[in-house]
Amino acid sequence: MSVRLLALIPVAVAISLALSAAVDAVALPLFLDTTGTILATALAGPVVGIAVGVLTSAVNTLRNPTFWPFVVVQVIVALYAGLAARAGLFRSLKTAVPTGLGLGVIASLTSTPISYFVFGCTTTGGIALTTALGRALGLPPLGACFFGSFVSDFGDKAVTFALVAAVLHALPRRTAARFPLALRAIGAT
Amino acid sequence: MSALHPFSLLAIAAALPAFAWILPAPTGGLATAGLALMLPLVPDPRWGVRVVRLALLTAAPFWLFLRLLHDGPTTVAIGGRITTMVASFVWLVAVLSPDRLVEAMVARGWSLAVAYVFAATLSAVPVLKARARRIVEAQRCRGLSPRGSVANRLRALRALALPLVLSALHEVDERTLALETRGLGAGVPRTPLAAPPDRPAERVARWALLLLCLAALIWRLA
Repeated sequence: MSVRLLALIPVAVAISLALSAAVDAVALPLFLDTTGTILATALAGPVVGIAVGVLTSAVNTLRNPTFWPFVVVQVIVALYAGLAARAGLFRSLKTAVPTGLGLGVIASLTSTPISYFVFGCTTTGGIALTTALGRALGLPPLGACFFGSFVSDFGDKAVTFALVAAVLHALPRRTAARFPLALRAIGAT
Repeated sequence: MSALHPFSLLAIAAALPAFAWILPAPTGGLATAGLALMLPLVPDPRWGVRVVRLALLTAAPFWLFLRLLHDGPTTVAIGGRITTMVASFVWLVAVLSPDRLVEAMVARGWSLAVAYVFAATLSAVPVLKARARRIVEAQRCRGLSPRGSVANRLRALRALALPLVLSALHEVDERTLALETRGLGAGVPRTPLAAPPDRPAERVARWALLLLCLAALIWRLA
């Protein structure tokens, strides 16, 4: 791995974790904790994205230990974002947002079994409450758990993809060209 | 306890949750939770009480949500396991110095790149979080209103997130130059300055923990 890609990894992890300040300011029910993973993948490919995802989970685990089992979701996000970048799906918001919605479904399908079998669907307050809402609506336990994960992931991943697309387009071409996948991700090559 | 080798601290923090999930519930989870909550009290009870309080405060919401979603026995079974995980990691964060861990990794022959990524991440996160707060304040001073409709909030989010991410990406160039100047790309192993001592007894204890975990797993699956 080149020194530039190595230097990108800690920066991308820090982006994922620092964005919580922006989310708090606008008071939207978003996590944006996969922004660094998706951005690093769109710039440098899935190997760097997976490294960022694993490290993001590890650092998050130091704050809240329940994050660690969800490292699998970060790996899936990196692989999905890698395919999206190769297909140039960050070229506009019209392609990025639906791709992000697709990731929302995949991420909730991946996180539901972990959340259900390891934590009994109590990973965060929001997910626990939406799971309780699902139970009140008559869904079976696993279905209610999926409902909770889906509500939190669906919009979050669409906004994350839109944000990464905006960043890639705002990046000067000279800077973008220093990363192996950036120009292809926005359909410029 | 913090004098133990960083790998020993990691091994203890990983083994306790592993036992919590492997051993039969609720006894296994409750026993490991008790052990994990007693760990910080061993070297200095006064310091340990603060760590235990933090662990209990972190674990409390999980018990609340578990009770909301499950019956009593299931709540106790899962709650014991989650408390073990939370208490082990809260203790680990309190006793493990990242600098000592990096030194231990380098001394053990891990790639310098891995050690750099780990250390640089831990130092970059607080810096970028502080910058994010400054950007939020600066944009508010310029009249950005992060309230109102969802569309308005999303526009505000873009105005807050883009400067943060772009400035962070520009930093990659500076970091690359700094790392190349320090010879990171040369592939030459680094000599650790103060490698933590790894006593034979600790190495034996780590292997024993691993074997115990495996034995417990085989016993449960048999």
